[in-house]
Amino acid sequence: MSPGPDERVALQVSDLCKSYPKNPLVNDHVSITLGEGEIFGLLGPNGAGKTTLVSQIIGLVKPDSGSIVIGGVDTIAHPDHARQACSFQAQTQVPISGLTAKQAIELVGRVRGGSVKQVRARAGELLAQLEMEDWASKMADTFSGGMRRLVAFCMAAVVPGRIVILDEPTNDIDPARRRLLWDQVRGLVDQGSAVLLVTHNVLEAERAVDRLAIINKGSVVGTGTPASLKGDNRQSMRLELVLEPRGEVPQLPAFLEGPVVTGRRIMGRIAERDVAEAVQWSAALREQGAAEEYAVGPVTLEDVYLAAVGHEDAGSLDREEVAE
Amino acid sequence: MTRLWRSYLLMLKWQALSSRTILPLSLVVQIMIAVGFIIGIGFFYPNMTTETAKFLTTGAPTITLLMVGLVMVPQMVAMQRSAGSFDYFWSLPVPRLVYVAADATIWTLMSLPGVIVSLLLGAFYFDFSLELSWLAIPAMLLISVTGVFMGYVIAHSAPKPEMASLATQIIVFLIMLFSPVMYPPEQLPGWLEKIHTVFPVLYMADLSRGTLSDLPVHLGRAFAVVGAWFVFGLAVTTLLVRRRR
Repeated sequence: MSPGPDERVALQVSDLCKSYPKNPLVNDHVSITLGEGEIFGLLGPNGAGKTTLVSQIIGLVKPDSGSIVIGGVDTIAHPDHARQACSFQAQTQVPISGLTAKQAIELVGRVRGGSVKQVRARAGELLAQLEMEDWASKMADTFSGGMRRLVAFCMAAVVPGRIVILDEPTNDIDPARRRLLWDQVRGLVDQGSAVLLVTHNVLEAERAVDRLAIINKGSVVGTGTPASLKGDNRQSMRLELVLEPRGEVPQLPAFLEGPVVTGRRIMGRIAERDVAEAVQWSAALREQGAAEEYAVGPVTLEDVYLAAVGHEDAGSLDREEVAE
Repeated sequence: MTRLWRSYLLMLKWQALSSRTILPLSLVVQIMIAVGFIIGIGFFYPNMTTETAKFLTTGAPTITLLMVGLVMVPQMVAMQRSAGSFDYFWSLPVPRLVYVAADATIWTLMSLPGVIVSLLLGAFYFDFSLELSWLAIPAMLLISVTGVFMGYVIAHSAPKPEMASLATQIIVFLIMLFSPVMYPPEQLPGWLEKIHTVFPVLYMADLSRGTLSDLPVHLGRAFAVVGAWFVFGLAVTTLLVRRRR
């Protein structure tokens, strides 16, 4: 597995296993390599083991076996090094009641070793770039979930670690600010950090990441760039069909490979030479009143993702977020 | 050392800012409890002598500090555990004991007004004078910090946060009724009196009485026993906060 364009390795996770008595193999021989200066996505449905993996990387959870190396240091033996090297935006809310947005961001910056002047300037910059200046001096107790999450992002970004770990950073955040947030994530990489992005939002990940790993039921089921993962498929096009409400799933043609049915949607890959036939078949279904609409286009990461995590688990994918 | 001190001051600021929303209410509650305690205790002893009043008033700081350490701390920690706050704090490059030290400082500062008000009010209401020794400062600190560490042990060793909250209900009951703070240990049945020769509560009360009044108390022994419990609480807290799941 190559660490990407920059050969230097920021994080190397090898053969990591973690089980709990009531939850065996939450992580099953997981290996990922994060190169310096890259955005690496960790994609998977809810309960796939993403957060457990992150908790081990930052030293909150001890693995059963395997190794984690950050900048050449074994962080299972030296968890203090992990906390210094990683800045972390948790999926849960940060404990900032009683603090203003600015105080929370500046405090973490100081805790992470920044000078007063440096963190003040950087906090101001982040708040301005994310258009949060009106909230800067307000107490976090009054913030919406999305606003708290933005503050949490700023706390991870104010004095970024060698690795910045973002666990579902865009949840509850409005579409306009999501764009601004992604600009800031890219900015972190430009400053020299590597970003580990944990998400189940495939569409956003496809735009944001340099490389990614798809994780399902504790195991890595695919790793690569979005393009290489899509290119693995011999079938380079996709067909998506939306059935009429309460319509029955029709007999699927042979050219439709790896079909996935979620609710009224049927998705599958097709070869370029079958495009005409696929359009004909779909148009006929629509004329018969069995299908509402259809679309043929190039394969997306979502198709690869759904094929990798399987039909049932795909159900946990947040449709609205993907459609955004 | 500079790095540890810097982390401590920053965590102290974080905790102080976090508690500012509950601080005014906490002050009001503490003062109400102090006033209520001094006036209410008079109903138990219709023929209160100065000696009894002195005994009760100078034992009150132990009750106040233990209520904070063994009741408020576990409840707050349980809440934070449920909210996942520790996952965040533990991910920061701050030694966990430094975080705990900052927390213990805030709790001690927050319980001071209650301690001072109950002492002054008791002395005024029952008309006796306090005999303050400079040892009162280390004594109060030791009681408070030992209580906070024991609270941490309860809260972090409970398998589920809610269990810690429930345990505090029992602790209130045990401290108020079955601990020799508000009455001499001789009034307890023999077996319970023996238990209290090992537990810290009796000696904590000795510490506050011995440093705030002229009541005869074996201060050296009290410092030694409470000091031992402090070391024990610190050791177990260290193990608990440093463990990885």
